[in-house]
Amino acid sequence: MTAIATKGRSPSERILHGLYLLTFGTVLVLVLLPISALIYGSFRTSAPGEAVGEWTLRNYANLASEGVLNTIWTTLWIGLVTAAFCIVIGTALALVVHRTDFRWPRLMTALIGLAFYFPSFIVAMAWIIMGSPGGIVNAVLGDLLGIGDWLRVDIYSAFGIIYVSVLHQVPFVYLTVRGPIIHMDATYEEAARASGARPSTVMRRVTLPLLGYSLASSFILVFILSIEQFAVPALIGIPGQVTMLATQLYLLVRFSPVDYGLAAAIGLTLSAITGLAIWIQRRITRAGRLTTVTGKAGRVAPIPLGRWRWAANLFCFGFITLALLLPMVILLYTSVLRWFTANPFAGMYTWRNYVFMWESASTWASFWNTLIVSGVGAMVGVMLGLLCSYFTLRLRPRGHSWLDFAVVLPFGVPGIVLGLGLLWAYAFLPLPLYGTIIVIIVAFVTRFLPYATETVGGQMVQIDRSLEEAAWVGGANRLTAARRIILPLIAPSVQGAYFLLFMAFFREISSAILLYSANTKVISISIWAFFEQANWGQASALSVAATLVIFVILLVIGWLVPAGRRF
Amino acid sequence: MGISVTDLSKHYGKVAAIGGVSFDIADGEFVSLLGPSGCGKTTTLRCIAGLEDATGGRISIGGRLVSAPAEGLLVPAHERQIGMVFQSYAVWPHMTVEQNVAFPLTVRGVPAAAAATEVADALRTVGLDHLAARHPSQLSGGQQQRVALARAIVGKPSVLLFDEPLSNLDAKLREGMRGEIHRLQRRLGIAAVYVTHDREEALSMSDRVIVMQQGRIEQSGAPRDLYRRPQNRFVADFVGKVGFLSLTRGDGAWVTGDGTHIVAASEDQPGPTALAAVRPENVRVLSRGSHGDEANLLAGRIAEVQYLGPFTEYLVEVAGGTLRGYAQADLLAGEDVTLAIAPEHLVLLPSE
Repeated sequence: MTAIATKGRSPSERILHGLYLLTFGTVLVLVLLPISALIYGSFRTSAPGEAVGEWTLRNYANLASEGVLNTIWTTLWIGLVTAAFCIVIGTALALVVHRTDFRWPRLMTALIGLAFYFPSFIVAMAWIIMGSPGGIVNAVLGDLLGIGDWLRVDIYSAFGIIYVSVLHQVPFVYLTVRGPIIHMDATYEEAARASGARPSTVMRRVTLPLLGYSLASSFILVFILSIEQFAVPALIGIPGQVTMLATQLYLLVRFSPVDYGLAAAIGLTLSAITGLAIWIQRRITRAGRLTTVTGKAGRVAPIPLGRWRWAANLFCFGFITLALLLPMVILLYTSVLRWFTANPFAGMYTWRNYVFMWESASTWASFWNTLIVSGVGAMVGVMLGLLCSYFTLRLRPRGHSWLDFAVVLPFGVPGIVLGLGLLWAYAFLPLPLYGTIIVIIVAFVTRFLPYATETVGGQMVQIDRSLEEAAWVGGANRLTAARRIILPLIAPSVQGAYFLLFMAFFREISSAILLYSANTKVISISIWAFFEQANWGQASALSVAATLVIFVILLVIGWLVPAGRRF
Repeated sequence: MGISVTDLSKHYGKVAAIGGVSFDIADGEFVSLLGPSGCGKTTTLRCIAGLEDATGGRISIGGRLVSAPAEGLLVPAHERQIGMVFQSYAVWPHMTVEQNVAFPLTVRGVPAAAAATEVADALRTVGLDHLAARHPSQLSGGQQQRVALARAIVGKPSVLLFDEPLSNLDAKLREGMRGEIHRLQRRLGIAAVYVTHDREEALSMSDRVIVMQQGRIEQSGAPRDLYRRPQNRFVADFVGKVGFLSLTRGDGAWVTGDGTHIVAASEDQPGPTALAAVRPENVRVLSRGSHGDEANLLAGRIAEVQYLGPFTEYLVEVAGGTLRGYAQADLLAGEDVTLAIAPEHLVLLPSE
């Protein structure tokens, strides 16, 4: 383009070029450093930072061992089953809420939104308290109903992982298919009605097939989330000896016999699976764009629920109860107990967990760490995402497609794998970063950079090229045009991306679990640590506090960014 | 002064979007670039604006060389002092009408007070002074286009560029805006380049029309010359409705396929064969039997009838071609007719 091809650059072009090089360099370091460190590590016999050790293919040979193969198989089938359940339940929820005369669509969307932001490790903890062999459900079955002899539940199982993952990820499906369902061109369905199809036939023959691409894309994304997640399989699967790739990696690094090399090879295997899945998902979305319906949102006549209204209500609010309300109640209950008991009438109640939390310097430190990581980290991430989007979508200087490629790579790298990569990388680098909060920020920014570029870029591509060209013709150089035209127009998405990253950083656990030190604990890690020490009360009290903070932030966001904000 | 384009070319890899185009536009002259989509007209305009980098040739604006890639000279768009109106209006949605129009001034550092006067002038010129505080989303398409027009003229540009500015407006508004743009350009007395694929727009507004196809200029001339004296089949067809008749040279005269003698006023003799182009308004459609006193009378049969209100358009098959003719008489498809054409209305073109 003009700016780059002209001889003799003006100052504004020099600034832009400098920014481009800086952005490119930062992204390369952020993304390629952990990945190449991981690849290096997978060919070594030693732990990170050790001088000894030699080159080897042993780690890859070990991938074929029975244990690892079993883990891969477990990971895949748990992922597939979880994704299948999520798609069915999430789509059904969205259809009931947005396609029928369901009475509380806005309330339901708000509640599912809350459930989406409810951290998975907190849901898992609550359901462990309920569903473990000595937990509340079994107490109810045995002591209250007297059927404990032939019906017992054990959350520490593959079923438990799937159950909690589904509860946590259905909101994701709901939120991704909701848009296509709402924005589907009404005339397709009206044409089917006019051709003589009953409402249920329209749904089966027209609506669902039209949603096909969206559903397939959502299915793959949920599959990826399910196999790359760490908290749920760790909390539930490790005690139950159900090992998924993410947890096996963790066990290999944290517990003896330690094998960093095999962990690296497993991390790469997991990344290969998620990377492949993302590639397929992108292909599907691209193909779907041709057929997806992007007409004007028209109101289709809602399907009357009639005598099935009670079932629809039960389904919707039942889900919210299991995914959100019940876990919250259980955590509140556990947080005020002196010793855990399943029988609320036998409990000894106390505020000591909250008092201890209030008086504990380390808890406050982890709160402050979290705020710094989320507040500052999200700022860095959004800035970087903004620059990347501008260069890859607008200015497109030489090499921009490589930048584009590098930016989406973290999508394919699960959090814990990224953490391991950084562990390898910073053990070798002469930078005194290991054990600092900066490493945590680096990990989070890298992991969620694609979210920032997708959010900001999504709005940036919609800005017609001529809006910028009109500014150039009007006498503005590229920098001025970017500042005065592009930036104000994408401001809402920048704001949105900031909050998205803030919330993600606040809840993130998987990429921090291998990187934290005593000084750099974030709130999610503190909760995790308390729970691992079987200090349920303290973990619950802290979870209640964290959940409160999350909901307050959501309220503030809702107040700051009204949904209808448009020019 | 004005605009001077010499041997302009633009290649994307090996594909040539423009393959050597030259023209000059004087100050005060209004020139249209007319052609089908993909003919290179918009690319030519964007090369003049500096939004696209030419790969060859030279462009001068107001006597200043702005594009000469062979010498490594490509002045960026923001230094070319041009006014441009875009197809999509490109009115910035986050600024008011006033801020939109003021942008070319403030961005060049014009003091606020001076800028305000000029903005008010420009808005008055396009008749939008009462809407200065509005946001573009509160304006109609026509009003947005006026904002774009005001923004294009406010910086006292040395040339005005238009990229199909009316194609997003409805038909009625379009005709009104045509006149307005034309008057405005006359008053400013600067060179204007107007890109369009709409022949009526090009013919009605321009001092000169340049017809382009496949990155080259097919013909350039005043609208009347272009319409009445096209130099080839493409131009004849593109600037208006036309029928073609294949002729051969026999016995020192032109004859059609069935041996009818044809008299053409033009002395041009493109070769042993020729193609005669005839505009439908110059063809009289007579029912068979009645005779006109024109020199050329052709027997034909009506193939298609399109009733258009003021008259009916007939597609008539004759030996050696299909002609179009307008008539007020009501005739039926399949009817045998006689076509009467005066010699001066036959334009002889080289046959392909």
